[in-house]
Amino acid sequence: MSNFFALIQNENMKIYRKNATKVMLIILLGMILAAGLIIKLNQPAPKENTQWKQSLVQQNKMYQQQMAQVKGSKQAVNYYKQTIATNQYRIDHNLKPAQGMTLWSFVESAAPNAALLISIFAIIVVSTSIASEFDTGTIKLLLIRPIRRTEVLLSKYLSTLMFAVFCLIVLFVFSWLIGGIMFGFGGAAEAHLSYINGKVYETSWVLAIWKNYLLSCVSLFMMVTFAGLIASAFRNSGLAIGLSIFLMMASSIIIQLLGGYSWVKYVLFANTDLTQYTTGTPLRSDMTLSFSLTVLAVYYVIFVIIGWLFYTKRDIKA
Amino acid sequence: MNSKVEAEKKPAVKLEHVTKKFGSKTVIDDLSFEIYGGEVFGFLGPNGAGKTTTIRMVVGLMRMTKGNIFIQGHSVKSEFKQALRQVGAIVENPEMYKFLTGYQNLIHYARMIPGIDKKRIDEVVELVDLKERINEKVKRYSLGMRQRLGLAQALLHRPSVLILDEPTNGLDPQGIRDLRNYLHDLTRKEGVAVIVSSHLLSEMQLMCDRIGIIQKGKLLGVETVNEFVQEGGEKVRLTVDDGAMAARVVKEKLAIETESIEPQAIELAIDHEKIPVVIDTLVMSQVKIYGAVSVTKSLEDRFLEVTGGKGLV
Ligand SMILES: Nc1ncnc2c1ncn2[C@@H]1O[C@H](COP(=O)(O)OP(=O)(O)OP(=O)(O)O)[C@@H](O)[C@H]1O
Ligand SMILES: [Mg+2]
Repeated sequence: MSNFFALIQNENMKIYRKNATKVMLIILLGMILAAGLIIKLNQPAPKENTQWKQSLVQQNKMYQQQMAQVKGSKQAVNYYKQTIATNQYRIDHNLKPAQGMTLWSFVESAAPNAALLISIFAIIVVSTSIASEFDTGTIKLLLIRPIRRTEVLLSKYLSTLMFAVFCLIVLFVFSWLIGGIMFGFGGAAEAHLSYINGKVYETSWVLAIWKNYLLSCVSLFMMVTFAGLIASAFRNSGLAIGLSIFLMMASSIIIQLLGGYSWVKYVLFANTDLTQYTTGTPLRSDMTLSFSLTVLAVYYVIFVIIGWLFYTKRDIKA
Repeated sequence: MNSKVEAEKKPAVKLEHVTKKFGSKTVIDDLSFEIYGGEVFGFLGPNGAGKTTTIRMVVGLMRMTKGNIFIQGHSVKSEFKQALRQVGAIVENPEMYKFLTGYQNLIHYARMIPGIDKKRIDEVVELVDLKERINEKVKRYSLGMRQRLGLAQALLHRPSVLILDEPTNGLDPQGIRDLRNYLHDLTRKEGVAVIVSSHLLSEMQLMCDRIGIIQKGKLLGVETVNEFVQEGGEKVRLTVDDGAMAARVVKEKLAIETESIEPQAIELAIDHEKIPVVIDTLVMSQVKIYGAVSVTKSLEDRFLEVTGGKGLV
């Protein structure tokens, strides 16, 4: 197994020595910086608000009335309940709500787009790592070592996942820095309020952000595995990259189009967004978190087995 | 040199009834032969004969449809790791990672087999004469430099079986000579078994101890280079004062047809023992003889003869 560590080292060397990878990291950093600048420049100067408690009390009153009117919709009721409880918590504990963008709200708002970008990068990395060695012919010198093809494939897959984690760390650190520079490092101490089962808790922003990242990674994880399967099966990195990114981008449209059918719940993309069980509403009322996790697991196992078979069993003709 | 090999009798590489089909097309047909430590085995055949396909099966890149291959007694099918631990190889062109330097490429391969230290890498770099350029990216290498780097990665782990598919491709004359000398040392001093496939037939003649000729996936025969060349019969070239007269004399007195007649020379395809008889006869018939040379056929002539002269680069 010490050998396996060496394989990971090799794959990492091949990933990070490529110019394409360096460009990806630069794009990621550039995107965060641009987002910070755009928000900063378009944000009105914050007014000093000493009356915030009164305005929260007023807001809560208004929400109470509105909640009474929308009784039928469980989702809306939940939303009002959460906002009211959070506001009340602020009043009780003397926690002034933030004005405009803060360090942490910037880190949070950068997450969805950056996660999509990182997914695209990870798809490109896994497809190139697996398929491009067939194009360049280096696969021949790679697979004539006393090492099983399974181990080679696994090292490529794990190195890609490590690359994705690395990107997330870069994203976290850099968006924290940019958030601090643009909106003040004073915001770093801000409390994060979460609403769990009808109660409000003060939790850590760091945890909240990483939970957010992790949920976005469900789609990343599945699409990287899918791209790996296509790359192994067709030995063509362009096809693997194109098809995976296309499906990922089109996933919400696909789900909308199929929304009417009951079997839509078995479609991969109906289950990759787990926030439907935390903050949103499930796509279909008969879907639960454990149902989605089961569907994801089944897809995952199928992707892995097919990809593995293609990679390990076929002749190398390159 | 073959006596030592004969005594050991343990093949380094052994092919047993190896057959490979692509779909219904049989590309390798029931190939069986053995290669021993201490010899350079030349794998010869026209384009598309199946040399590369055979090598791919030996190194586990392709599965065989039938048969089995053993490397130092380990089956490539069932003991892949033990078998491949013994092998260093170049398959077709030595394609390396172009975005890495030569040295990084070697580190990459060194990591995949335990027991290769920095010193060994430097040693191999020195050996293939790439020291000055080893820290440059491979995309800036010439073909010959890539070939040298390919050789370096094949030698890193001191394999007991070295397989080189067209290793002289792209090498300059000095490189070819170095390779030849190095292969000679490897086999004689370290008992390594070397398999070389090449189109440079004259090269093979200098480099190889035995050659196997393959055509359309079938083995036409395995012989030592000397046997192979001589089997076509010996030729004698006699320099004389009058070629036409000499030809007439041997035809009338000895009933031997002359292969070629020049004004001042004739060439005869005759057995070794017949040479003095011919010379005696000519002398007695007043033909002046200025010289007699025995001309062995070149490997190339023999190769063309055996394979029917078709489909050769
Ligand atoms: N992937 C493949 N599918 C079908 N046929 C193939 C495949 N690869 C090789 N062949 C066929 O197998 C035969 C042997 O090819 P191979 O590459 O082994 O020849 P070779 O002796 O190495 O030739 P060369 O001297 O040109 O390198 C050829 O007829 C070739 O067309
Ligand atoms: Mg070939």
